[in-house]
Amino acid sequence: MVTRPNRVHRATFLAGLAVLASVGCRQSSREVVVYTSVDQVFSEPVFRAFEQESGIRVRAVFDTEETKSTGVLNRLIAEAGSPQADVFWSGDPVRQMALVKRGLVEAYVSPRAEGLPPGLRASDGTWAGVAARARILLVNRERLGTEAPPRSVSDLADPRWKDRAAIANPLFGTTTIHVAALFTAWGEDGARSFLEALKANGVKIASSNGEVKRLVVAGEVAFGLTDTDDAHEAQQDGAPVDVVYPDADGLGTLVMPTAVVLLRGGPHPEAGRKLVDALLSAETERRLAESAAHMPLRPGVATPTGVRSISEIKAMTVDYGRVAEEMEKIQPWLRQWAGL
Amino acid sequence: MAAAVGRALTRFLRAYEQRAILAVAAVGVAVFCVLPLGVLLARVALSPPDATSAWSSSRPWILAARSTGLALAVTAVALVVGVPLGVLVGRTDAAGRRVAGLLHVQPVFLPPFLLALGWFHVFGRRGALGSEATSAVLFSEAGAILVLALAFAPVVTSLVAVALNGVDPSLEEAARLVARPLRVIAGILLPAVAPAIALSAIAVFALAFSELGVPMFLRVDAFPSAVFARLGGVDYAPGEAFALVLPLAPVALALLGLERRFVGRRSFAVLGLRASERDRLKLGRWRAAASALVWIAAGLSGAPVLALFWRAGQGDGFAQMGAWVGRAPWNGLVSGAVAATLITLVGLIVGHAVARGLPGSRALDALVVLAFVTPAPLLGVGIIDVWNRPALRPVYGTLAILVVGYAGRYMVIGVRTLAVVISQSSPQLEEAAAVAGAGFLRRLTGIVAPVHARGLAFAWLLALVFCLRDLETAILFYPPAGEPTTVRIFTLEANGPEPVVAALASAHVAITAAAVVVGAWRASRGARG
Repeated sequence: MVTRPNRVHRATFLAGLAVLASVGCRQSSREVVVYTSVDQVFSEPVFRAFEQESGIRVRAVFDTEETKSTGVLNRLIAEAGSPQADVFWSGDPVRQMALVKRGLVEAYVSPRAEGLPPGLRASDGTWAGVAARARILLVNRERLGTEAPPRSVSDLADPRWKDRAAIANPLFGTTTIHVAALFTAWGEDGARSFLEALKANGVKIASSNGEVKRLVVAGEVAFGLTDTDDAHEAQQDGAPVDVVYPDADGLGTLVMPTAVVLLRGGPHPEAGRKLVDALLSAETERRLAESAAHMPLRPGVATPTGVRSISEIKAMTVDYGRVAEEMEKIQPWLRQWAGL
Repeated sequence: MAAAVGRALTRFLRAYEQRAILAVAAVGVAVFCVLPLGVLLARVALSPPDATSAWSSSRPWILAARSTGLALAVTAVALVVGVPLGVLVGRTDAAGRRVAGLLHVQPVFLPPFLLALGWFHVFGRRGALGSEATSAVLFSEAGAILVLALAFAPVVTSLVAVALNGVDPSLEEAARLVARPLRVIAGILLPAVAPAIALSAIAVFALAFSELGVPMFLRVDAFPSAVFARLGGVDYAPGEAFALVLPLAPVALALLGLERRFVGRRSFAVLGLRASERDRLKLGRWRAAASALVWIAAGLSGAPVLALFWRAGQGDGFAQMGAWVGRAPWNGLVSGAVAATLITLVGLIVGHAVARGLPGSRALDALVVLAFVTPAPLLGVGIIDVWNRPALRPVYGTLAILVVGYAGRYMVIGVRTLAVVISQSSPQLEEAAAVAGAGFLRRLTGIVAPVHARGLAFAWLLALVFCLRDLETAILFYPPAGEPTTVRIFTLEANGPEPVVAALASAHVAITAAAVVVGAWRASRGARG
């Protein structure tokens, strides 16, 4: 009477176990495992191109918008006892410092990193930069009307914009780095006062930069602090938004290259080196410039229309190593500030 | 001599067969649910300052209180919506109830964050029906309560509807001779399905309490955000995060205690074998109003999903989807199906033990509830700690780790559902078989499973749905290139084309709905056959 469901369950279970076992046993030497906080929509085509050129299969773990840069980073730290990944491609130049500090990185001076300026690569070969984003103000033209647009990060705290601006939660993503950079530039007191002023000014704290973009595009706020790739996406969708590179006549705009590291003890070190070389190539910069409006770091790479080159903006002078230290230092206070 | 030893061994095994089988299931619960939490507990024990610093300020207490209030409100609204709807869809002749029911349950196939996104497309400032006022309501506590209640109400509806189909038709038929439909519902049917209502209330409370994405999206402070800040932030502090959730243990136990106090050890005259034979309750002059109610609720539940379909339709979302979907649906379906089977098998053994009040079963019951109530990212950290070892690479680096994670988090579905189902049947059949000499395994496979075939199928389907909709557990340890669809939607959501993300979400709903419909059809054929 009831043998059929049992049979179905048994068959499903056994079939599933067989599939899982077959997947489990399939360990190939012609593969490489990469964890990345560069958006999947931009990084996956780069991996597919590498697969075609090298014949090496790329198995990737991507980050989500909400945990951007810290999700996979913390997974790498949690997995340190038995490393699963060969390469970490960070969406910013700061997170990988946490791995370097914990001894989880294998020094590797890629020939492709040779032409980079000193600030954009580590002299000991622990990391190297490729294609950069900038922190910008995304402004909704329609919500703004005839008002003059904001020009500085400080405008977030200006009463003129009360309840009409947004930033992402500074505990996560590139906003953490930006806040830490402000602590290094303005000092502890100045940066703390600024963050308290944001609260008083009713700045909306979104869950991510992507969320800031969504709030600006939907006109929920007049402007928000986010990254160039988010802004590019909004513009590609035809949203009524403009991009302001903040503090052109002051502190400058924060520029953040993505960073590539080879991980210590990864299962496929040789393939890992090949992937690092490929990620640090001019071709990767070109791809990211075209798909994600990243700014190329190598002088020979053309900048597509609509994408600014680093030389066209005033970049904030920043020591990423110091920002990394500051970022760790301010976390307890930031959590308190965020009410968590 | 050998024969005597053999006979003695057989007698011994028979005498202890039930305990041995329960012990095997207990090992399953220990491996999937307890070990990950145990290693975290060890971290806290090794570093007591974590515990003190986590609770030293008033903020975590305030957040815990707020989340408790939020979860209680969500549970109340979900019950108000779900119980009447479960009755109307499950037992009455309301017009179009099957289609409306299917529309109503769709939200439960998606992570709630995507539903919030759907509501944003409807009621955001620039949404289809949006204004400044609707946006203000959406981005508030009230908005979070409504979004979550509508997301979780289908859990109540489906559990009530299924339980109603299990009520012994003779009870209902007798009552209908002397009472009107409303009286039959209030006096006979609802008390008969009280265990299912209690179970659904616990599930909704736990889901709402541990929900992270919706409160973050709607900018509502919630306790899981505090836990997440210690796992997803720069200062990775899993010990402190676990210290924060330790007080959840008494909360989980209190929930169980409440359920037992409310439901007690009542045995209901419910069988579940004649479900297809009964007539539906005729609503008479109330039919039009009841049908309208069903369709309004279904429309409300389906609105965010329809908004996602609508968004996908704009900008070639469905056409481009193929380039981005990869093997994600396959990864989710395979790991989900295997996990659901494990959950059902362990659930049958432990649920039976709970229903029959065997020693140790309550502890197992409490442990699976605790694993469910624990915020998923924390369970994920524990799973990495336990399973990320060189010798276990065939598990940790493959889809098998998703099965481990799903089984740990959703074991409660199998145990609780089957405990409720089995507790509603008389143990007389089993006792008669035992008197005739049948061992426990034989009684379990020959009597308990056949009698509760529909309940088993429902538990499997419910577990499958929870595995397929899971995001928060899998996101922390999914194997490279082995992500399920929900994870892929979220990783693509970062700057991915919105229509493609909406199309993936829509396809995920369709695949899950298809799996449920096929599963329900097979189960109903099996029960009839």
